Amino acid sequence: MSEPPPAIAAEGLGRDYGGVRALDALNLALPAGAVMGLLGPNGAGKTTAMLLLATLLSPTRGTARIFGHDVTRERAAVRRRLGLVFQETTVDGLLTVEENLLFAARLAGMNGRLARAAVRDAIERLGLAERAQQPARQLSGGWRRLVDIARAMLHQPDLLILDEPTVGLDPEHRERIWSILSEARRAYATTVLFSTHYLTEAEPADRVILLAGGKVVGDDRPDQLRSAFGDEVAEIEGPGAQRLVRALRGLGAVRTILQTERGFRVGLTGEREPIVELAGAAAGVDRLSLRPATLEDAYFSRTQDGAV
Amino acid sequence: MSGLSAVYGIIARDLARTTRQTSRLLGGLARPFLWLLLIGTGYNAIARLEGGVSYQEFVFPGMVAMAALFGGMLTAISTVYDREFGMLRLMLASPAGVPAVLTGRAVAATLVGLFQGGVVLAFAPLILRVTPLQMLMAIGALVLAAAVSALLGLLVAARLRSVENFAGVINVVLFPLLFLSGALYPTAGMPPLFRAVARVNPVTYAVDLLRRTLGQQGEFGIWEDVGALLAAGGIAFIATALLFDPEQRFVGKGPTGSGQEPRASSG
Repeated sequence: MSEPPPAIAAEGLGRDYGGVRALDALNLALPAGAVMGLLGPNGAGKTTAMLLLATLLSPTRGTARIFGHDVTRERAAVRRRLGLVFQETTVDGLLTVEENLLFAARLAGMNGRLARAAVRDAIERLGLAERAQQPARQLSGGWRRLVDIARAMLHQPDLLILDEPTVGLDPEHRERIWSILSEARRAYATTVLFSTHYLTEAEPADRVILLAGGKVVGDDRPDQLRSAFGDEVAEIEGPGAQRLVRALRGLGAVRTILQTERGFRVGLTGEREPIVELAGAAAGVDRLSLRPATLEDAYFSRTQDGAV
Repeated sequence: MSGLSAVYGIIARDLARTTRQTSRLLGGLARPFLWLLLIGTGYNAIARLEGGVSYQEFVFPGMVAMAALFGGMLTAISTVYDREFGMLRLMLASPAGVPAVLTGRAVAATLVGLFQGGVVLAFAPLILRVTPLQMLMAIGALVLAAAVSALLGLLVAARLRSVENFAGVINVVLFPLLFLSGALYPTAGMPPLFRAVARVNPVTYAVDLLRRTLGQQGEFGIWEDVGALLAAGGIAFIATALLFDPEQRFVGKGPTGSGQEPRASSG
């Protein structure tokens, strides 16, 4: 028995726009059913990577396969397995919610009864029943986004690609969208690739790729990325902050140093006691706090120039 | 089958959108009647046409063609609106892809052009003496005229990037197509250059075909008109397929023509 192909397999996948290298070389093997977050500042290459995997852009270099299908040579086969949510909502304001979903179902190749049943199911699952007959232009941004998600999941795709699905939404809608996606993953083992600027949203992911300037600057499990920054993080502010950071370094307790607007963010390693003692005796420190490392620490250390 | 579903979905959406934009629909219907009333009445007094037809009778087939041209072409050009506001990428991401988008759009725009032209044509018995057979043939001619208009609209939309260019398109494409078609005045009286342009203008053949099917004198034979329209439609479709760039929605063009990063992205 041969193993099923990975949901995404990319080798050296890259794209240039004229002289601009938007994505350098993405290497990726994501197993089916996994959840992966793409993180990076604006212009890092996240959308380009997603559009390449979604067959909507042609690669300048490298290859990618979705469930074994080549993204340039077998576009139709790839698209049948995909559900896409773009960065901007893709909802026709002149159509009702139900008509928008019916349109998407037909685009996905469903006809007649099958399309109507899929739309009914999506409306029910996503709690859109009260708004089903409402023109989409009357919906708030959060509800439009839910329609987008419903649209992408109509045909129960094997891979969902979501480009900043929660951008600009209130916490209630963000929570709702993530719980819908988790449910889809549980129910249908859907593979999910998403990008976000809300880094806490990437914490539950199986894997995170950090992009900066079109290059992959981090690729690991979120806990590994966090611990690579430090076991704990000290935020140090004040005129004596630099001296304390040097002392901590001398102690061999420093894994990463990140210079911030107001001081330093230091990824610490080893025993806590000597660090606390040293910090307690330091002069000119206005603020010192210790906390667990977050994905945000890993993100800043790898995507910004302040990392030391 | 999946391709057919996608095509049907695109047609159903376009028609729903058209019927909900009532001011646009009514404007499209009113335009030929206004021209018929204002220009037709005014020119009736001064125009002397061969065959003893009044100017209103002469211009009527041209107004039918105009309704089909504006209805079909503007509906097809709304592809640009979809490109700018994101719906096009949704269609392009479907398994059926570009062929379904072009086919669905062409059929929907043809139906809109057919409806708008058909409403004008329905008034033919009030202006012309036509037999039921002539009306039937005129409907056939209208289908052809609307289809060619739709395909020309798609061709214009293939490279158009922004809806802001719409006014420019109307002035630079639609009006010359109409004025140099023999719809408003016979091409025989045009200066040689304009006459040469009229000869390669597909709308000339649509107007001529409508004129002939409605029992008026034409410049070309019926099959010559049909052949020219089929050829124009085929060329427009092939040219659209060649020019239509699915990546255009995502890739901006720089001042030197070199590509830039995706417009829709922040990442």
